[in-house]
Amino acid sequence: QSLSLSISPAQTAAWRKQIFQQLSERTKRELENFRHYEQAIEQSVWVKTGTL
Amino acid sequence: MTDDKDVLRDVWFGRIPTCFTLYQDEITEREAEPYYLLLPRISYLTLVTDKVKKHFQKVMRQEDVTEIWFEYEGTPLKWHFPIGLLFDLHASNTALPWNITVHFKNFPEKDLLHCPSKDVIEAHFMACVKEADALKHKSQVINEMQKKDHKQLWMGLQNDKFDQFWAINRKLMEYPPEDSGFRYIPFRIYQVTTERPFIQKLFRPVAANGQLNTLGDLLKEVCPSAVTPEVDGEKKNQVMVHGIEPLLETPVQWLSEHMSYPDNFLHISIIPQPTD
Repeated sequence: QSLSLSISPAQTAAWRKQIFQQLSERTKRELENFRHYEQAIEQSVWVKTGTL
Repeated sequence: MTDDKDVLRDVWFGRIPTCFTLYQDEITEREAEPYYLLLPRISYLTLVTDKVKKHFQKVMRQEDVTEIWFEYEGTPLKWHFPIGLLFDLHASNTALPWNITVHFKNFPEKDLLHCPSKDVIEAHFMACVKEADALKHKSQVINEMQKKDHKQLWMGLQNDKFDQFWAINRKLMEYPPEDSGFRYIPFRIYQVTTERPFIQKLFRPVAANGQLNTLGDLLKEVCPSAVTPEVDGEKKNQVMVHGIEPLLETPVQWLSEHMSYPDNFLHISIIPQPTD
């Protein structure tokens, strides 16, 4: 009985789980060996300087 | 446990490692070294390649530096398509980094739009956002926003600021609680095997019987050739969004909310299944 209850939510979530899993595989494939590459957009850090 | 909201971050922070090489026929005063860069999947080539242009300019004569354009294996790359779409469509299943050739001479007028400034990219981006909202909300959300909100969407994309962008974009992703989704789903389907630039039709997220429409329902209706029955148990095509293949059971409303590009369109690539 518990099996039949659990089938439905698991099936509903299959597409969602598959997206999460594939996105994490994508990150591995496209980023893991290339983290030393320069980013196209710099994340600028603003440093405020001034005299006291 | 992963949350649906994490998908928004994964989509935003997707990067393609890319190697830019100057075309052999371009005239240089010194040897042009390749230039390596992580390109944001959600952005546009001409928006994120200032460094590439500067790098190659250094070895060229000033008079030879004209409008930059990019090509991959003989195909001029359209700057007005998001980078992730260009990669999925033309270079999926190939070894990384993505090898892009840089050109200055012989601009391919029939294939590419000119991009004289970033204002042109901004205008194109905002036109797409407005078109998407016309489909989703009869333009009501975008028209109720102020000019500064429009600017915040653009600046968020331009400067890779996720929070800045989503503070505004979340409003474009809302729908009335009595509905099950948007009026129509903003999507474009691309295939390299046809001359047609893309397929775009009106498609509702919920069917007449109240069931949520899925990615499979969308393809069956607007591009049936993409999901023809499998031959010998093998898929003929890959259906890709942001470098992944969502199951055909995925509801299009969920995809639209979580996997649209910043221009608020779902850009879907249909590519032939690799044979090896």
